[in-house]
Amino acid sequence: MPVGNTYYPNYANYGALFDMTEAWEESDLKNGKLKDVNGNTVVMEEKYVDALKITRDVNGDGEVTPEEENRLYGFPMTRGNGTVTYVRGDWLKQLGEEGKLGYKHDISDFKYKGNTVITEEDMEEDFSDSSNKTNTTEKKYGDYVQYMPNNYDEFLTMLRAFKGIKDGVSPISAAGLINTEAPYDMYLREFYQDARPDFYIPEGSDKYVDGMSEPQMIDALKRMKAAYDEGLMDREVITNKTSTARNKFYESKIGVFNYWSGMWCKNLNQDLQKQDPDGVAVPMPPLVETEYIERPPTALAVTTAAENPWGVFKWICEFSHDGAEGQMLFSRGVEGELGEGHYKWVDKAANKAEALTPPASPDSQDLVQKAWFSPELSINNFPDPIEIDNKITFSLDLFAKTSRVNPVPKMTLNIADAMTEISTIRAEVIAKTIQGDMTPEEAVKEYQERAKNEIEVMMIELNGSEE
Amino acid sequence: MANTSAKSTEQLSSLKSNSGSLGARIKRYANFYVMFIPVLIVLFLFYYLPMYGIKYAFTEFTPFGPATWIGFGNFTKLFESARFWDAFSNTLYLSIINLILSMVFSVGIALLMNEIAHLTLKKVVQTVIYLPHFLSWVVVAGIFTIILSQESGIVNIVLEKMGFERINFLTNESWWRPIFFFINRWKETGWGTIIFIAALSGISPDLYEAAEIDGAGRLKQTWYITIPSLMNTILVVFILNLAKIMNIFESVFVLYNETVYSVSDVIQTYTYRVGMQGTFNYGYSTAVGLFKSFVALILVGFSNWMSAKINGKGIV
Repeated sequence: MPVGNTYYPNYANYGALFDMTEAWEESDLKNGKLKDVNGNTVVMEEKYVDALKITRDVNGDGEVTPEEENRLYGFPMTRGNGTVTYVRGDWLKQLGEEGKLGYKHDISDFKYKGNTVITEEDMEEDFSDSSNKTNTTEKKYGDYVQYMPNNYDEFLTMLRAFKGIKDGVSPISAAGLINTEAPYDMYLREFYQDARPDFYIPEGSDKYVDGMSEPQMIDALKRMKAAYDEGLMDREVITNKTSTARNKFYESKIGVFNYWSGMWCKNLNQDLQKQDPDGVAVPMPPLVETEYIERPPTALAVTTAAENPWGVFKWICEFSHDGAEGQMLFSRGVEGELGEGHYKWVDKAANKAEALTPPASPDSQDLVQKAWFSPELSINNFPDPIEIDNKITFSLDLFAKTSRVNPVPKMTLNIADAMTEISTIRAEVIAKTIQGDMTPEEAVKEYQERAKNEIEVMMIELNGSEE
Repeated sequence: MANTSAKSTEQLSSLKSNSGSLGARIKRYANFYVMFIPVLIVLFLFYYLPMYGIKYAFTEFTPFGPATWIGFGNFTKLFESARFWDAFSNTLYLSIINLILSMVFSVGIALLMNEIAHLTLKKVVQTVIYLPHFLSWVVVAGIFTIILSQESGIVNIVLEKMGFERINFLTNESWWRPIFFFINRWKETGWGTIIFIAALSGISPDLYEAAEIDGAGRLKQTWYITIPSLMNTILVVFILNLAKIMNIFESVFVLYNETVYSVSDVIQTYTYRVGMQGTFNYGYSTAVGLFKSFVALILVGFSNWMSAKINGKGIV
């Protein structure tokens, strides 16, 4: 069964999931014995497998032995994926050409951890919606990237310029100020920057800290509040649902929107260009002050009640990542003709196929995008025989180059209990700060006072003491 | 003919009679008992059998292992939680005010509708005010989010044109409750009038004619005839609704947000967050639910006692 990352550590912790560490270690997939349709060895991106490893006190004796550390209770279905910041490329271009931005960049300026994230080939990527027959103007990434902000000051300059582009525009919006599940700071990356409103282990440390109580969080709140007060952030950011924020983007009421990379890059452009043929949503590299965050993958887990868990691992977990017929079945569906299958081969020898409309509605305008696993999010070198829209692959590549994978949160019954109250208080004080009901310093202080007991519980559960 | 009539009367009086042994009476009413069996089964399956789950309120229980008996541990934790008491007082406040407003508005609208002489107009008005009841709370929340939008909502546009500042109604602690009550009345007042309109149609016109002859105007007739005639119905509706006041959830859930938890979080939304959002603490959630039911039971008992005081008899 598939288990999302909120539930996965819980299920594992309760002992409900089969420990598949050995099944994975001994598998043909792990040991390079599987070949894809082209005869190449199937290679997994193991960071996604590692992201699901959990340390838990299996015996419940209060001590974690080395054998209980980093055990695998679920196998990643696909990449966890995450959000990138989309900006209105047409607005950027217009303002840049009018000289209203005051900065201009070369692609070599956009770096993440010292590496350039945009290539010359990327400049040619076309963001026009190919399904819109009346919209034939090319929308090349290169036309917009030079005007993209590279640091927080430039980002604010861009938001201020967007505000003046037409009446009623709230430059940036999101579906809430804080996400409802980890990673909590997935949205509004430009404002959170290095602040992490969660319990996490800082680099170079082996102890958890409370990110909400760190000075970076006060700075993040100050940035959000200033943007809100200046009218750069949507006044309804607290009550927005994801659909509300999306609709505002399509209706050109907002110009910056942090949302999923991949399929949504295509969808955003498709729906935006239906309403405004000149509109274009382009994913922006992260500002130098920040990075994107990938959530842990959804896990394929086997319950401890399974009679043959090794068999389930072999024929579901491994088979669905075999780079050949199994992966084709799980991601692209059933081969067949129109009205019978999900895809058909164009030239099997050359590994070329085409997607069909769904068998249940063959007259539909939409082709089958996936059977179960999203093929564009595959975590091995799967040679997908069906071409994927360039906007999907481009946004995913940019995201992959500029993001870190968030670890699976540690979970016990006490942590789960404490986190319920902590999440409530945290969301409350952040929202009240932005609305001006309290200062960022007061917000953090109120959080620490009201969640004192729960924070203590978290520290004891996570670190074994109240440090 | 006379013979048949006498026989029927005898059968009827025999049915009405409670005389005879238990066995004789069961035999006499056998057909009724058979007809009642499906009701009894449904009642047992969906109302009594689930009560077995009450035991989990006294345990630490997750779906993945055996329940551990902890006595009143969950209740102790519950009563020590400030968040719970906030939710408890919000539940009572929002529900009771909502109930009072509901009675006032439903009776008021029913009285006004009773005065509409034009039949077609009356039917059109009835249809229009019943309609919102059939919209789901999610849709209603969507409609009012748009209307009250700080950026583009009609209410804020009008406020601004009149020289006032724009208000984010749904994130403002002072405004959230009035807005909540308003939306509830918009959605449910029409539906609430149905029973009262039915009761109004049952009042004998002779009473009004007699009052008119005695020189009573419209207001006097309403005060001395209509309202007293409606009192029993008002009381029954009040008691039935009072029993349900602890069940407030959907209307709050779709309208609240983190900035207004202090004035909007109710027991059901609190239970939802504790029990459903990743913690699996079903024992604690059950304890919250059981306490909620206990309070509802007290409220029903209180209403019934009040009814007995006012009318001389209870309704339960």
